[in-house]
Amino acid sequence: MAKRTLPLFVAFVMLLMLAQGCAPSRKYAWGGYDADLYSHYKHPQDREAHLEHLQEYVNNAEAEDRVPPGLYAEYGYCLYELGNIDEAVLYFEKEKAKWPESNVLMEKMIRNARRQQENLRRPSSMDSSQGQEETK
Amino acid sequence: MKRSFILILVVTFVSAVFSGCATVPKKDYAAFQAADPHSILIIPVVNRSVDVDAPDYFLSTLSIPVAERGYYVFPVDMVKHLLENNGLSDADLVHNADTMKLCSMFGADSVLYVCIERWDAKYMLITTKVTVDFDYKLKDCKTGDVIWTERKAMVYSPQQSQSSGNPLADLVAMAISAAITKGVPNYMPLAHQANAEAFAYPKGGGLPAGPYLPEHKKDYDQQKK
Repeated sequence: MAKRTLPLFVAFVMLLMLAQGCAPSRKYAWGGYDADLYSHYKHPQDREAHLEHLQEYVNNAEAEDRVPPGLYAEYGYCLYELGNIDEAVLYFEKEKAKWPESNVLMEKMIRNARRQQENLRRPSSMDSSQGQEETK
Repeated sequence: MKRSFILILVVTFVSAVFSGCATVPKKDYAAFQAADPHSILIIPVVNRSVDVDAPDYFLSTLSIPVAERGYYVFPVDMVKHLLENNGLSDADLVHNADTMKLCSMFGADSVLYVCIERWDAKYMLITTKVTVDFDYKLKDCKTGDVIWTERKAMVYSPQQSQSSGNPLADLVAMAISAAITKGVPNYMPLAHQANAEAFAYPKGGGLPAGPYLPEHKKDYDQQKK
């Protein structure tokens, strides 16, 4: 029995080593970004879980100082969609500061978010602007 | 001992094939080098398969392998929502839109167009063959030209690896595993593998190192060797 399992074990270890050799460790701390996005598309109604996951990835990546491109913005946009405009702007600003390539888009998002916020503050347009939140 | 060596050899060979270490004929990178993109906008994926969920699922796999090549990658989910809010809810519409307009909308250097050619599982009596096939194109924002392109197909069919010694029992086991694969075919490992091979450079003919990798602009000649 032992004679037969040993070669299998050796083969398994070699396979593991090879698999690791061809898939080097990642440059950025992504956390479960791709898996979360996949489940977000599978269950789009579960936005709170998506937000929680993104928050966790952002915090971990910041702690390691290996924040991947787009992560701040994805989290910011999730906050924005859930109506947390102030915090959304904070993360759009973070994306812009870390990645100069995002400047044009983040400027737009920050302007949109501020406009949204002003609409919400204006009592007369409150009802209509809330209805438009999804399409803005 | 002789048997174990053969086994090791076979396993090594198989895993080498699976990890995409095989070399591929070289490509012309002149246009890519001239464009030298720093950021890549990944737009929603066009679907030519019959699986309606495939494009969203596949979209979720693209950011990491591209960003890990050293490029700024725009937040794919946010981009998808912004396009939808601007009347481009259909990926075909986005792909047919003017590249320069997309670029200026997001401030991008280049746009990655991906098409799913195949994403299916075929039931074949006692086993199931799962196939994915993707077409990747990167377009430059300054000229609108295609500066990099790749096509990647992957096929998986469960192997009859462990024989019980009883042919009838083996057939049943295979039928069961085929049914499982057919019921809930898992395309994601194949999709990840396709991306890993498509973007790997220089072995796979993928993306040269972007500005966030130390090899940026230094690895162009590697492809020619």
